[in-house]
Amino acid sequence: MAMIEVKDLTKRYRDRVAVDHLTFQVNEGEILGFLGPNGAGKSTTMKILTGFLPPTSGSAKVGGFDVFENPMEVKRRIGYLPESPPLYPEMTVRGYLRFVASIRGVKGAQLKSEIERVALLTGATGVLDRIIQNLSKGYRQRVGIAQALLGSPPVLILDEPTEGLDPIQRAEVRQLIKGLAGKHTVILSTHILPEVTMTCEKVLIINQGKIVAFEELKNLANAYGQAENVSLEEIFIKLTAA
Amino acid sequence: MRNSLAIARKELSIYFTTPWAYVVFTAMAVISSLVFLDLLGVFKQAQEMARAFTWARLPPEYSAFKNLTDGVIVNLWGFIAVIVLFVAPLLSMGLFAKEKRHGTFELLMTAPIRPFDIVLGKYLGAVGIVFATLGLTIVYPLVIAAFGQGESGSALEWPTVLLGYGGLLLWGATCMAVGMFISVLTNSEMLAAVLTFVVALLWWLIKEVAQAADEPWRSLAGHISFASQLQNLSKGVLDLKAIVFFFSMIFFSLFLTHRAVEAHRWA
Repeated sequence: MAMIEVKDLTKRYRDRVAVDHLTFQVNEGEILGFLGPNGAGKSTTMKILTGFLPPTSGSAKVGGFDVFENPMEVKRRIGYLPESPPLYPEMTVRGYLRFVASIRGVKGAQLKSEIERVALLTGATGVLDRIIQNLSKGYRQRVGIAQALLGSPPVLILDEPTEGLDPIQRAEVRQLIKGLAGKHTVILSTHILPEVTMTCEKVLIINQGKIVAFEELKNLANAYGQAENVSLEEIFIKLTAA
Repeated sequence: MRNSLAIARKELSIYFTTPWAYVVFTAMAVISSLVFLDLLGVFKQAQEMARAFTWARLPPEYSAFKNLTDGVIVNLWGFIAVIVLFVAPLLSMGLFAKEKRHGTFELLMTAPIRPFDIVLGKYLGAVGIVFATLGLTIVYPLVIAAFGQGESGSALEWPTVLLGYGGLLLWGATCMAVGMFISVLTNSEMLAAVLTFVVALLWWLIKEVAQAADEPWRSLAGHISFASQLQNLSKGVLDLKAIVFFFSMIFFSLFLTHRAVEAHRWA
């Protein structure tokens, strides 16, 4: 069953077209790797899916609800990590997570255990009582991911979740995201191509707002390379060079 | 409502973990104490002069100093209202501008809460912090009540004092509502603070500014000026028109803020 359905989605900023007639769907439990060069329209698409920006035309549905007609139902189902983690630098990690959990509708009795759960998943348990502005970039990113997981929303939209992490942390986050498959439907954007190879089954590549590839990862390799060993990087460069 | 309270609690916890609240508290405490001491001095001088020459022979403006309520507290409330004019923009500037600059506005807008909850929650937090600032000043009438003496027993007429204080709280709440609306229009806190200050100051002074204008503009300006609306209240007159005026200002500002937040969904 399709959890996310995007049809003819277009977003125009004055005369600049950021997203140009995107159509794709993501099935329940799938992890979709969302790729494209900087400025291709990835973040814009994600902002529309989360209800932060309205589409100019076309539609996007999450769990069967239109993002524009039924924003509350959609927002209830989505955990979202924007490009830069939306943190309040003055708060402690625990205070911040408690705040986000309460506006995301986590009930009072479960608040504490829910915070402990997402902190454990993202490896932020050790920094729960620290002030966010004193954290390293890696930990801020983890707190950003933890925030998206609060309340176990069925859909996760993660805009460059491994940005700013070191290779070890990156591997941990990859592991974490992989573990989310099946339980959550995930859209994951990134610049780091091996990441996609390791975590996602399906890839969506866009360039200048248009889809250039939307394929199972293994089909993509077959379609654009002669051998199995052709890398995603080569395909990516080939597709987005135009 | 639950969501609004969560947002209000977050606002207050941020105020108290940044230096701003303390800077504002200190400024309020220091300036209002100086004014208070000065008023006490003037009061004492007026009383001594009255004893020497009797009230009848003193100029009429001295008559306010016949008792502590009118001589000290009413004048003090008037000064504190002006201090609020200066400090409220510092408290309201970040309400939305900071969220936009830090990208946390996106967090609020993608959470399953209504724009109404966001606006109400933020306003409750804003009112909380301005009431905390003004809460410091209730100590002055208490000091007078403890150490002062009046001709008819009690040193102060409490109804007058408290009504004036209520007017002050209402004035603070109005400044925060106007400041919140200006904060939602920009993502620069500096700009929000300056703009709020300019708007509030002009509005405060509009009666003076409009003196040169023709009727009916002059009377209109007299009616809508913050200073003239607050005048009766701080003297302890139960001025229903002024109360309605300030509540309307608050509702109108909240309404505009709500529209501005809602507009993000369409932009």
